Amino acid sequence: MTASLLSDLRLAWQLTRGAGRREWWRTGLTATGAALATGFALAAGALASLRGGHHSDSLAGGLLGEPGTRAGVILALLLLLVPVLGFLGQCARIGAVHRDRRLAGLRLAGATPGQVRRIAALETGLACLLGSAVATAVTVPVLVGAWERPPALTWVVLALIALAVPVLGAAAGALALRRVVASPLGWVRRVGPARPGRGPGRLFLAALLLVAGVALLAAVTASGTPRGPSLWRTPMTVFGALLAVGAGSVWLSGAACRLVGRTLAVRARSAATLIAAERLRDDPWAAARTHAAVLLVTVAGTGFVSVRHIVTEALREDRHRLAESVSYYTTGLDLTGAAIAVGLLITLSALAVGTAESLAVRRSGLAAQVAAGVPRAVLVRALLLETALPLAPALLVAGVGGLAIGAGYSSLTASGALPWSALLVPLTVYAACLLASATALPLLRRTVRPSELRHT
Amino acid sequence: MNHGDNTAGGLLTGRRLVKAHGRTEALRGATVTLDAGEILAVTGPSGSGKSTLAHCLSGITRPDAGSVTYAGRRLEELPEKRLSELRRTEFGVVFQFGQLIPELTAADNVALPLMLAGAGRAEARATAGEWLERFGVRGQEDSRPGELSGGQAQRVALARALVTGPRVVFADEPTGALDSLAGEQVMTALVHTVRETGTAVLLITHDAQVAAYADREVRLCDGVAAPQGAAA
Repeated sequence: MTASLLSDLRLAWQLTRGAGRREWWRTGLTATGAALATGFALAAGALASLRGGHHSDSLAGGLLGEPGTRAGVILALLLLLVPVLGFLGQCARIGAVHRDRRLAGLRLAGATPGQVRRIAALETGLACLLGSAVATAVTVPVLVGAWERPPALTWVVLALIALAVPVLGAAAGALALRRVVASPLGWVRRVGPARPGRGPGRLFLAALLLVAGVALLAAVTASGTPRGPSLWRTPMTVFGALLAVGAGSVWLSGAACRLVGRTLAVRARSAATLIAAERLRDDPWAAARTHAAVLLVTVAGTGFVSVRHIVTEALREDRHRLAESVSYYTTGLDLTGAAIAVGLLITLSALAVGTAESLAVRRSGLAAQVAAGVPRAVLVRALLLETALPLAPALLVAGVGGLAIGAGYSSLTASGALPWSALLVPLTVYAACLLASATALPLLRRTVRPSELRHT
Repeated sequence: MNHGDNTAGGLLTGRRLVKAHGRTEALRGATVTLDAGEILAVTGPSGSGKSTLAHCLSGITRPDAGSVTYAGRRLEELPEKRLSELRRTEFGVVFQFGQLIPELTAADNVALPLMLAGAGRAEARATAGEWLERFGVRGQEDSRPGELSGGQAQRVALARALVTGPRVVFADEPTGALDSLAGEQVMTALVHTVRETGTAVLLITHDAQVAAYADREVRLCDGVAAPQGAAA
């Protein structure tokens, strides 16, 4: 078993080393995603290993010194993992066609289906190992510099995270291939789920049940031992809520794509709208994870801008009655804003990568369309509409959701009017998403060159 | 039937065409003429420059040297936008496979060139239905290319290539991915239809049985056209 694993690992390493340019892109971007995930997780892990409120940490305006604010920073770091995971999901799609050919080649050479999956998973694991190693190498000196004597628990947590990222990456790689069947006759096909979209829907319901169960148990046990359940109640509720929000937004994004595709496909009057709508109807789940990340970032961004406006107004009025300096509060707000901006940046990168990959996969078909006289402008419009059409209603809902957060906060604090300027956030995100998709347009120009017809 | 070299006065003429892909010279001075309404087979071994010749003649690729004249117009003088319009309205293109948009239904694939020319969706689909019937694929309007057999998909591709009423159809190995029976059905449908419409066909093939459908045959060897003659 060990010998077989070593042999697979050796083969995976050889394949990675001998990979072409597109594969190197995938490896590089996967390693970057893994490095970001490791960095955020290491920071969260290091902060979580702190105990008590006596730390005189000058970082982040003293926010890391108190357990309450520290928990907020940890949660923000963990939430940053959501767009990173979306980014990694898109990276897995890069070079899928070439990877499939390689898998078929391995089967042709005598590899078993299990071996093929293992080798592909190890390739992803190696890229994640590279990213994890780089992130750890950067994080540890920073940690040692900022924190004189980290306790043993911190080192254990950091080591576990650094090792878990490549292991989870390899597991995700194997999971991504669960529907791929590689034949020894040299072909690869994908077995689609019986009802695509059911997975996120079921996960969403399961998460809701979990949260409801926790609430029920808390209500039952609260009467007997009021302090008992708090140990597990908060983490379980946060986990359930995060799962529900994540799965729910993926399901909502896919459903929005399908609805928009179905509605427009029958009503489309222009060729570009018809092509875009039919693509959305054909595979509404292709970009669902990235669109879900866009949705969440928009809700968080709109909510944040609303809350920030209310808080800064309150700080200005109560400047002389504050327990801490104003910078203590504004630093927290600034860090939250920076975290949301980083999340948006990662999400936009995932969107750009996904759009580029969808073009690369279709390049011979697109070249044939142009050869048959379909104007490039029509294909450009269709490409942008594929992003613009489903995101328009999704971002409208996200904007309203974010504003609702602001309204809720405003009613809690009994402060003044709702900042309608927060509605600029969904508009800005929408424009940024279109720009991110537009970064693939130079690739479209290259894709439709006549030389691509030779691949038909 | 037309015999011999006649580069003067044809509907589409490529003269002394030269085209290189990197260091490989695909065409080395090939000269070919297609007359209105004729079916011309371009045959030759793999790598002889057949597809490159079709790409140059249809304006998909610009030759490095030589000229292409279509109905008195020099293609090399036309901007890319005009070439694209020409391919959409006066030329039809059929490849071995891959020319249908996989996400569109058969009817929408055929209707697409008409919509691009400004026709309404309903009108374009109605015309597409007529062409699908003509090619024996009526009843498959709402099927996607992936749900069709290879022969059906190629007949849908032929309907798409002919729906705008082109004067020339470029068919690059149109039966290359089909079994002999399906290939025969596709060629019969193509020949029958172009005889009715008076459309000229430049048929790229390495299959002698397919070339036999043509009025004339040009054999390419190392990027040069051998003397033209009647097909078998």
